Amino acid sequence: MKTTTNFKAAIILSVMASIMVACSSNKKPIATDTATEVAGSEVDFKIEKSGAQLWGEVCNRCHIAPSPADYNDTDWETISLHMRVRANLTEEEITKIESFLKSAN
Amino acid sequence: MTLIILGLGSSALAQTYNTFEPSKTQFMLRGYGHTGFEYLDTGGEQESTFLGATFAPIFLYKHSDKLMFEAELEFELEGNELKTGLEYADVMYVLNKHMTVRAGKFLLPFGTFMERLHPAWINRLPSRPLGFGHDGIAPASDIGVELRGAFDLGGPKLNYAVYVTNGPRIKDGSEEPEEAGMLDFGYYEDVNKAKALGGRIGLLPLSDSSMEWGISAYTTNSTGAEDSDYKDVGAFLWALDLSYVKSITPLQGVVDIKAQYNSSNVDTATYYEIEDGISEPYSFDNQSSSFYTQLSYSPIMSGSDFIKQLEFVGRYSDFNAPEGAEWEEKSTQYAFGLNYWLSWRSVVKFSYQTTKMEGGHDSDGTTRTNGLFVHWAIGF
Ligand code: HEC
Repeated sequence: MKTTTNFKAAIILSVMASIMVACSSNKKPIATDTATEVAGSEVDFKIEKSGAQLWGEVCNRCHIAPSPADYNDTDWETISLHMRVRANLTEEEITKIESFLKSAN
Repeated sequence: MTLIILGLGSSALAQTYNTFEPSKTQFMLRGYGHTGFEYLDTGGEQESTFLGATFAPIFLYKHSDKLMFEAELEFELEGNELKTGLEYADVMYVLNKHMTVRAGKFLLPFGTFMERLHPAWINRLPSRPLGFGHDGIAPASDIGVELRGAFDLGGPKLNYAVYVTNGPRIKDGSEEPEEAGMLDFGYYEDVNKAKALGGRIGLLPLSDSSMEWGISAYTTNSTGAEDSDYKDVGAFLWALDLSYVKSITPLQGVVDIKAQYNSSNVDTATYYEIEDGISEPYSFDNQSSSFYTQLSYSPIMSGSDFIKQLEFVGRYSDFNAPEGAEWEEKSTQYAFGLNYWLSWRSVVKFSYQTTKMEGGHDSDGTTRTNGLFVHWAIGF
């Protein structure tokens, strides 16, 4: 029993670890490729989402999304860092959303 | 003279204005409260009560763009007693673009319900699904350290969290014989040298972030005290979770689907049952599981201001505790709700819930419990 649980644990944790490693090593090429290939082209507009659009897509995944007017700039800075960590958002997402919230309140 | 006064006046004015500059460090006091009324019919026995109110202040302190502290206190009136709790208290530091470290007591990313969805102003129903909360099988919070972060895969996104914590304690039955073999995740003091190791990987395959799949694992080599018979009783838990939230124009509203499956495997051990003064050893295959899925719909595109604020919810959940344990149980539950949202964080919830339980703590037969709930929750 004990050995089987440890075995299962080892398998699942190593699968997780390898996915993480794969993604972190893949990350650079993907980012630079898309950035250079599509820079200035029409596609760029489709890929680069605005802060407002990201706010609409990201901030309602767990709770109803608050409106920019609900908080002042200082509060949005604290909330953005809190949500970046709690919701495990990417730096790109939270940076764009934070500037949208601060510009539209 | 007038010039001097004017001069002084304007510098004083300038100083006053200066205090409106945002400070580098920021402190925020937020939180939520909830209360309600419930009517329960348990196998023909009725009871009704206004529930003790809960007040949960949350303290957020942002020291810099990278360093932050969060803590939540919980005050709850249970009967005549004021129960207090420290839901979490941890410090987080952004190491780089893809890595944040957290240390302290934090909510565990084992699936998503406890970490992201359980606060009363987020949970669409007044109750938790079976398997979570008191006597639940999913770990909710613990003390330790965690690394987490997210990657943009050029459309899809991936996030991860790995943590080491003190881990649970096994209930050996010496205090509560009817709970022998249960894992106690609320026992924060470390009972042994072994630590619990866990993690979650979340994948958002669609570029609009509407869907997230998550897989979590949690393992420990020892759940008993160093000098006890239960020292070598290890445990392995895993979970799968799903979230899908999308605004669908033909449906005039937002569809929100949530689901989580939890599985818990604890190494087999011998427990003792006292019958007629004699201690009888017994053992069982210590495997439990639970599952829930929830669908909610809010017609936010409706032309009517009243209908816009409504939300319809349905949830199914089940829970299976090991056969042969004193706490052997098979339960299924259906819950239906109608919510009225007063703001993005305050809601009045009306719900009906029916639970069928075979076995359980203090009964052998099947018990059916029907409940009507009216709850309100407000975040601030
Ligand atoms: C993965 C789930 C999730 C996502 C996505 C999410 N939140 Fe939250 N949010 C939470 C949870 C959970 C809390 C409650 C924190 C607590 O009470 O411990 C919360 C709380 C808040 C609060 C209350 C103040 C605070 O910081 O606790 C605000 C404001 C907020 N979220 C804004 C946002 C914004 C803006 C976004 C989009 C960038 C967002 N949230 C995305 C889960 C999420």
